[in-house]
Amino acid sequence: MHHNPISIQSLSYVYSDGTQALKEISLSIRASERVALVGANGSGKSTLLLHFNGLLTPQTGEVVVGELAIEPQNLKQIRNFVGLVFQNPDDQLFMPTVWEDVTFGPLNQGVKGEALNHRVIHALQAVGLDPSLYTSRSANGLSGGEKKRVAIAGVLAMQPQVLVLDEPSAQLDPRSRRQLIELLDSLPLTQLIATHDLDLALELCDRTIVLSQGQIVYDGETERVLSDPELLAKHALESPLCYSRPYCHVEDAPLSALLHSH
Amino acid sequence: MLLHIGGFRLDIDSQGETIWHHLIPQTRVLCAVLFVFAIALTPNGRWWTWAIYGTTVTAIILASRVSLQVLLKRVAVEFVFMGVVILGTLFRDGGQVLWQWGWLRVTTEGLTILGSVSIKALLSLLVMNVLILTTSVPALLHALAALRVPPLLVAILASMYRYIAVLAEEFNSMQRAARSRNLLGNGERQRTVIGNMFGSLFIRTYERGERVHQAMLARGYEGFPPMADVPQTKQRDIVAITLTAILALSGQAIYLLF
Repeated sequence: MHHNPISIQSLSYVYSDGTQALKEISLSIRASERVALVGANGSGKSTLLLHFNGLLTPQTGEVVVGELAIEPQNLKQIRNFVGLVFQNPDDQLFMPTVWEDVTFGPLNQGVKGEALNHRVIHALQAVGLDPSLYTSRSANGLSGGEKKRVAIAGVLAMQPQVLVLDEPSAQLDPRSRRQLIELLDSLPLTQLIATHDLDLALELCDRTIVLSQGQIVYDGETERVLSDPELLAKHALESPLCYSRPYCHVEDAPLSALLHSH
Repeated sequence: MLLHIGGFRLDIDSQGETIWHHLIPQTRVLCAVLFVFAIALTPNGRWWTWAIYGTTVTAIILASRVSLQVLLKRVAVEFVFMGVVILGTLFRDGGQVLWQWGWLRVTTEGLTILGSVSIKALLSLLVMNVLILTTSVPALLHALAALRVPPLLVAILASMYRYIAVLAEEFNSMQRAARSRNLLGNGERQRTVIGNMFGSLFIRTYERGERVHQAMLARGYEGFPPMADVPQTKQRDIVAITLTAILALSGQAIYLLF
């Protein structure tokens, strides 16, 4: 594994309509680190994510993935190195069945036959789906949580070194969200998680990067930034729910005294 | 095929265990297409040829044990669309005039063409519906790819199959949103609103296409969809194709020889 899988030097990006999405971004992700990327809507998170595996090429500045700069001849290797999980699984599950979707990445890498079967089964097991039940299912009939898992499996099957997730907990019910957190916690990959779910960031990531209007306004320990309500409020964020309540344990909740007394 | 997507499962009989099901999907596609071509290219008025083809189609329907009710229902729905086109063939000049009302006249020639085209359409629809009822869409797509249909075309068909349900769902939710804000008004207003919905559906589809393409690129797509392994041709597949060809030719031979 690489020591410094991703490093970015003074990256800026302007959309064709004149919107400045990123301004002088510099950061570096270390191996096996889990980093949260937070910021308000329109703060440039998604634009930054698309730079990580070369879907956008830097207009100014430099993005280095592994040891490769983002250039057309390196794109194939870069995309094998960084796996990107999109926010809406419907955008990512474009093949008719689960099996075909999970094999899409490995087949593009040239994996075939027994090795391919092995990869798919392994990836589905890693996200907690039973391969014998799911491989022949159609992508249309899956629930939101299942779609999310299949989308992650499709990326894991490519065996990337870095996993980049765009709002992984959006639109998930509490149990699916919990399972997702446990899943991400169990994966020994370098992970970059863009999210509005600050409780998830607090649970999973030691390091947090706060983006505001295309600029990095904080890069450091998660707990420190999340316990600074003023900084958060200034950048249209809010302390995680578990901080804002006077109780943190179920037994301290107002109703539980009543329940326990019976 | 597209008429039925999203409404219910297409391949309700794909799990059968008959001779027809034992053929690999490529063979089924090839037999069906051969047959449809033979049916469609037969000149008008050759009733005996279609009698042979009709018997063969009946044999395939019986052999594949498809649910007759579903088959007939689907053919009936599709035939309504065909019927509109076919009706135009009735009022042709030529031959004896059988019936006349103003400038409208039914002639023997017109009747022959109408009968011929109806039989062609009916037989072709039956064959294609049996194929779709007994073969799952992914298997069909694989078969097309194995038969060297351009991979990009197969990929387009595959994403159409995948996304038509998503689009229908998106349109339904827009309609619900409009109804929940009391979209009533007169017919014209409703038509305007529905027109706008189609417009925004088009833009959303375009944007989604962009995102799907990015998701494909992110997983190493380089312009050609990957191909998984395809099932091998067996002896019975060769027999089936030969048999189809012989039947198709013998149908034509009746009028050439006698």
